[in-house]
Amino acid sequence: MEGGLRQRIVEAGYACVARWGLSKTTVEDVARQAEVSRATVYRYFPGGRDELIDAVVHWQTVQFFTRLYEEVQDATSLEEVLGRGLPFARRSLLEHEVLNRVLQTEPELLLPQLTLEANRTVGMIGAFLEPYLARHGVADGMEVRTAADFLARMILSYIASPGRWDLADPGQLSDLVRTELLAGVAPSG
Amino acid sequence: MGSGALALIQPAAPVAPASPPAPGSSNQRVRIVDATLSCIARFGLAKTTLDDVARAAGCSRATVYRAFPGGKDALMKAVVDTEVSRLFSELAVAMGEAGDLEDVLVAGMTLAARRIGGHPALSFLLAHEPEVVLPHLAFDHHDRLLGLVSVYAAPFLGRWLDHDQALRVAEWTTRIALSYLGCPADDVDLTDPEHARRLVRSFVLPAIRALSSFSPDPLVVGEGPARPPAQPTARSVPSPGLDTVKGEAS
Repeated sequence: MEGGLRQRIVEAGYACVARWGLSKTTVEDVARQAEVSRATVYRYFPGGRDELIDAVVHWQTVQFFTRLYEEVQDATSLEEVLGRGLPFARRSLLEHEVLNRVLQTEPELLLPQLTLEANRTVGMIGAFLEPYLARHGVADGMEVRTAADFLARMILSYIASPGRWDLADPGQLSDLVRTELLAGVAPSG
Repeated sequence: MGSGALALIQPAAPVAPASPPAPGSSNQRVRIVDATLSCIARFGLAKTTLDDVARAAGCSRATVYRAFPGGKDALMKAVVDTEVSRLFSELAVAMGEAGDLEDVLVAGMTLAARRIGGHPALSFLLAHEPEVVLPHLAFDHHDRLLGLVSVYAAPFLGRWLDHDQALRVAEWTTRIALSYLGCPADDVDLTDPEHARRLVRSFVLPAIRALSSFSPDPLVVGEGPARPPAQPTARSVPSPGLDTVKGEAS
């Protein structure tokens, strides 16, 4: 099945990156890992290596958001969404071995996406949050889109660089969520 | 080019350069630093040689070496120290002149946005040699940068907030500024005071109000400045807190 083969190549790509790093992974490596021909890889990824790597990153990202959704789906308030989501996201970042290895050994390949080109990431986090903001409501005069964008930026910032905050501490987490994150966003009263 | 050259200075001395004074007048050192900045703005870091710097500074290469015995690495450290000191001095003036807490935050944000966003050497590096700059702005380094700025900026919030609150608000406002600076949004131009004010009013002031109402007793703040008595209804009603925040504290 086509979908199955494409996915197999993507997962093979991930395995290669895990083993050799991002810059050293070649189409040949991936083809061998997936037990397909080079021609097959190029058929699914005409853009070659770059397109394949993009697909690997996309796959990991989708996995993350799927698990995040599962983590927060029973939440009954904005506070709970963030209170569950933030530590989950932070843990995911810390525990993702391949991501951390790439960030340490080949930072120039991923750092721009977390800093200068973070729009895409911010956009994804914002898109994830919008339904919850729409459901639970936002402060008078505030637009859901604006709130989502702001929250997404802050979440990315706190996850990547917690600063003086210990996101694993429930008291601190609750304080951060209620104050910095939601004080301006949540409906008053 | 060692990445150590761009390590940020220690929080302890935000105004004075961390390196000990070297031979050569300080005017000359500043001239050399400014010449380096102009070279980087034009050619980038990798392609800037000490010859380029000497030429731009109107002195000999020997003079450059005498002023910076550690060579290009030491020179780059001095460049970062100098620019950071300059930014902090300008921030001190802008934030010191501001009338109320909202104005302090807006002034700080817009000035930082203009100086950092419009910085010629930094702009060149971010555009053409991002690997030189980005590792010093991400993760642990971002934490350190936040710590450095909040320690420096917190006293300017001292008229309205106790020390812990001031540190916290300073750190958070810096996060906001860094986010919009690093990754601009279509509808937010932080160099525009009206945009900065909109951000501060929408997100920062409500949190400050919430912070103040969480304090067990606003009058007991350790070394903090004296503040007017908390309104009995401050906990549940936002507007009295806003008056406190808007500068009636002095």
